[in-house]
Amino acid sequence: MYGKGIKRTGIARIAFLLVFPLLLTGCWNNRDLTEINIVAGLGLDRTEDGKVLLTVQVVEPAAIQSTSSGKGKGGGAQPKPVFIESYEGETVFDAVRGMLSIVDKRLFLSTAQVLILGERLSQDGIEEVLDFFQRNHEIDYSMTVLVAKGVTPKEILEMETDIDSIPAVYIRGSAENTVSRGTVKRILLIDLIKDMGGSGRQPAIGQISKAGEKKVITEGTAVFRDGKLAGWLDLYETRGYLFAIDKVKSAVVNVPADEGKIAMEIIRSKGKVKVAFENGEPSMLTVKVETEANVGGYEGKGALDSPDNLYFLEKTLEEEIKKEISTALEKTQKEYSSDIFGFGAYVHKYHPQYWKNAKKDWNDIFSKLPADIQVDAKIMRTGIVKSPVKKDE
Amino acid sequence: MLERIRKRSRTGNQNSNEDNTHADSCEQIPKTIEAVNVKLSEIFSGCSDFMHREISCGKKRSIRILVAYINGFVDKRVLNQDVIRPILDFFSNKESHADSRIFEQLKECIVINNDIKEADDMRQAVDGIVSGEALLFIDGENKALVIGVKASQGRQVEEPDTETSIRGAREGFVENLLTNTTLIRKRIKNPNLKLEMMQLGKQTKTDICICYIKGIANEKIVREVRERLKKIKTDAILDTGIIEQFISDSRLSLFPTVGNSEKCDKLAGKLLEGRVAIFCDGTPYVITIPYLFIESIQTTDDYYDHAYFATFMRLLRLMALLVSNLLPAMYVALVSFHHTVIPFKLMITLAASRQGIPFSPFTEAILMIIAFELLREAGVRMPRPIGQALSIVGAIVLGEASVAAGIASNLMVIIVAITAICSFVVPPLIRATMLLRFAFLAAANFLGFLGISFVAVAVFTHLCRLRSFGIPYMAPFSPLTASDLKDSFIVVPIWAMVTRPKILRQENAGGAKGSKRLEVKARP
Repeated sequence: MYGKGIKRTGIARIAFLLVFPLLLTGCWNNRDLTEINIVAGLGLDRTEDGKVLLTVQVVEPAAIQSTSSGKGKGGGAQPKPVFIESYEGETVFDAVRGMLSIVDKRLFLSTAQVLILGERLSQDGIEEVLDFFQRNHEIDYSMTVLVAKGVTPKEILEMETDIDSIPAVYIRGSAENTVSRGTVKRILLIDLIKDMGGSGRQPAIGQISKAGEKKVITEGTAVFRDGKLAGWLDLYETRGYLFAIDKVKSAVVNVPADEGKIAMEIIRSKGKVKVAFENGEPSMLTVKVETEANVGGYEGKGALDSPDNLYFLEKTLEEEIKKEISTALEKTQKEYSSDIFGFGAYVHKYHPQYWKNAKKDWNDIFSKLPADIQVDAKIMRTGIVKSPVKKDE
Repeated sequence: MLERIRKRSRTGNQNSNEDNTHADSCEQIPKTIEAVNVKLSEIFSGCSDFMHREISCGKKRSIRILVAYINGFVDKRVLNQDVIRPILDFFSNKESHADSRIFEQLKECIVINNDIKEADDMRQAVDGIVSGEALLFIDGENKALVIGVKASQGRQVEEPDTETSIRGAREGFVENLLTNTTLIRKRIKNPNLKLEMMQLGKQTKTDICICYIKGIANEKIVREVRERLKKIKTDAILDTGIIEQFISDSRLSLFPTVGNSEKCDKLAGKLLEGRVAIFCDGTPYVITIPYLFIESIQTTDDYYDHAYFATFMRLLRLMALLVSNLLPAMYVALVSFHHTVIPFKLMITLAASRQGIPFSPFTEAILMIIAFELLREAGVRMPRPIGQALSIVGAIVLGEASVAAGIASNLMVIIVAITAICSFVVPPLIRATMLLRFAFLAAANFLGFLGISFVAVAVFTHLCRLRSFGIPYMAPFSPLTASDLKDSFIVVPIWAMVTRPKILRQENAGGAKGSKRLEVKARP
């Protein structure tokens, strides 16, 4: 049929081509889905004697399936959708491995939705423990990182919630939700690692705390300085901080007006931080925010029927935002002395020579600089009605 | 190994050649009909359907004619009316057969039938008889007349079961060669439509007809077809499927390099594109050559319907082809290797469906696919009325029971079902897909996506290397022929499809000398 020579070169060609797929990487060990424990949430804390306490929330797929399909097995005890296990280890990796002796299957960490860091651990410093999360190939870099305030990660993970059958999914969802309020710094593992490694910006991590027996609340921000927890920002300070670093997607800002309040819905916002230089030395921190807002609700007695009213409203809104930013900035400067705004990154980028020397003391330099905050707000729409409906008219 | 297979088939053929003789058949036809009679009785001894009758006519019954035929094969009414009666009438008043022109008279002005040939030796005469023609031997002549009075039998022209379409002709080919060629001739009324007859099969002497349109078909391909057909040395041609295996370029490939069809309009279309068809008496399946990969996802409906829908359907079929090959393998690779790429929610669903299944995903997949293939094969082989019952049992066993018993997961049932549905979308490749699926599965279980890509590369390399009568199998993609892309994964409207496929006319088609790959070694 074919000449022999042709056949040989043909095979050689195929063999040559077959080499290329080898360049594609893959995992070589065949492991069935039923042979792994699907981890939904991770908690890390430090014990009093300095060990690492790892808590995992593991999903029981069969239980989830039966609850969601509504086929509860007739009255008997509902199997729990998740189980929680903790293990103390010298290091994180030690704890992960040590866990194997209490659970039946290998832990699969890729599916972890949230990583919750304990307060004590944060105060001791998170850089060391996070190394494992950078090194391990099975870690999903897009998991949400949160710091627990006033509660241990274990307590949060153990919480049974009615909102979602998997608490970790509920926590992640709530953090995502809060982003649209602009009151939590939602940070993914990958961003956190970047912030810690990159120079010029101190990491700030979203805060989680207990809001009830079965509820958590994700509001506020944990401020870190050199990898150690420095303090907290409340929700309004957090929003000011987010306005400045251009992380506000949407928010509701209440503006006092005429014996009432107007709820302004921020629909677009742009923030920029800069450092002004004079004679080769930084002289002023500048924050510039441009924002667009709609009137979401007018709970007061005034009217919104003239351009002057709107102009006045814009000014008030600007003041309100400015106030939030300045409290946040002041707090980080004076109390925590931690540049979470990334002024340092700006200096690094535009004044690299100066940065080289000032890098080490930047947090101190930052704390002493005066700040100029400019906010430009525009009102785009006022809704379907111009003024609130009045009874007496 | 190839060599050994070939050798074995060679010796097998030789064995069967030896008993394939009517040794004395090449000799002259004897002059007296007594001698002819003796000879025929000897040849046809034991053939109860062989009939012969002696007619004596003329005034003194001096003109003697022997009529020989196979009972049931010839139309006796036509034989009596067009042949025997005119002979009796004509000679009723003649004196004797001293007139030597009696043979010519018979041929030219007595026998009414149009289809008359002369047989010069015994072999031709016997061939005529076994092909359903009536033989006239005249006393004193060493020639015989072969008169075509074959009875037309067989089923009516019906809609083919294997290829159905929404629009287009409902006529399908039948077992009768002449009916089939007529069906094509009816569609292409053009003297350039050539029908070359030949006989193949030492024992069966099956009529084969090469059909092409002169001026459109590539002469080289036609010549190559002729050559390859001539080289077929076998006892029996019972179906075009046998011819197909003999003339394929790559006889060990999983993929078909020779197409077949039962539909008249489809075949007419193929001929008009420049393809060559081979009809075979006794089967409704007609071969088309060359056959390219893209043809497996083409249907006649594509050309009768709007181009948008046709294009969509082509893409859908392509997707179905990929899915039916890869889906089980992908699933196995996902759940046994690549957990990291599964989204969290899907992972829970997957894990939940796998919970409590005692088999590995691979074993589970193999079991379910084999169960499905068994069911399919049983459905084909079973008498039709039982088939219905079978499908019900199959659906219940495969679907509900196996899941309820915890042998297979719900998801696997869905996957096998989708795979099965998809495999039926592209009928020409069902068999290739069936085997490739296992290859992909095994590779997926061994190396995950890496393994799948290994097999995929091997398959694609093979496909690109394959030729059908010198035409690259993956044309018009490899080599890329821009103008032929109009009828590939996309279909342009028929009014924009102004040129015939270029690839079929290319120079190195057929058995060009430069291309060694095309050489078909002669088989004994």
